[in-house]
Amino acid sequence: MDSLIPFTTSGSLVDCVDRKMLVILRDGRKLHGVLRSYDQFANLVLEDTVERLYHENTFAENWHGIFVIRGENVVLLGEIDLDKEDDIPLNQVPYTILESYHRSNITSKKYRDDIKAQILYEQKGFCKEGGEGDGY
Amino acid sequence: MLPLSLLNAAQNKPMLVELKNGETFNGHLVNCDNFMNITLREVYQTSAEGDRFWKLRECYIRGSTIKYLRVPDTLLDAVKDEQTRAREAGRSARGSGAGSRGGPQRGGRGRGRGA
Repeated sequence: MDSLIPFTTSGSLVDCVDRKMLVILRDGRKLHGVLRSYDQFANLVLEDTVERLYHENTFAENWHGIFVIRGENVVLLGEIDLDKEDDIPLNQVPYTILESYHRSNITSKKYRDDIKAQILYEQKGFCKEGGEGDGY
Repeated sequence: MLPLSLLNAAQNKPMLVELKNGETFNGHLVNCDNFMNITLREVYQTSAEGDRFWKLRECYIRGSTIKYLRVPDTLLDAVKDEQTRAREAGRSARGSGAGSRGGPQRGGRGRGRGA
């Protein structure tokens, strides 16, 4: 990591290392973990990672350990304020309870987005999205 | 350490690879390269829905199809220990060989500039 210290440009992630981060992936997954390292492609190494599912006023967590994430799959990376982290107005429930809700949320969201994309394409001249089908 | 170096250091360790299409591959890493292309052995492949399974003795995964890899927690510590041990070994080897030659030379150059 010492060799990355010269990366003092505004676009670097060096200030995010060893901090608790929220990573959102293109498939819609939200991961909380400590950023341990990165490279020029923004591939990330996250330690102590927790995947969170949100549904209405509840959330659930699933512990996953160490992640090596390929940079092109990351939508955004945000620093978590450790002081405010525990003040969430949501109830935590076990992961197994939210799993089925999560899956139905995803399918209904995909359905709505497909209809939206079709209307935008036919009526407003927008291009259809590529085959990736982002879920975020 | 860099993500790809962590991957290189994880050879022969078990890991889980999820592809962009949601399929997961559980196996031991044989080798990897700078494009994140990897070869795994003793692989259990699971479909994206989680309903179908295959066992493969070996497989090759192109780096561009990977979404993420999950590695055991012990790996990070093991790799850091290996790195420090390698650094200590390198430093002691260099120190004993080049130390005597380096000293007098450096002193000579400094005196030249001062005059």
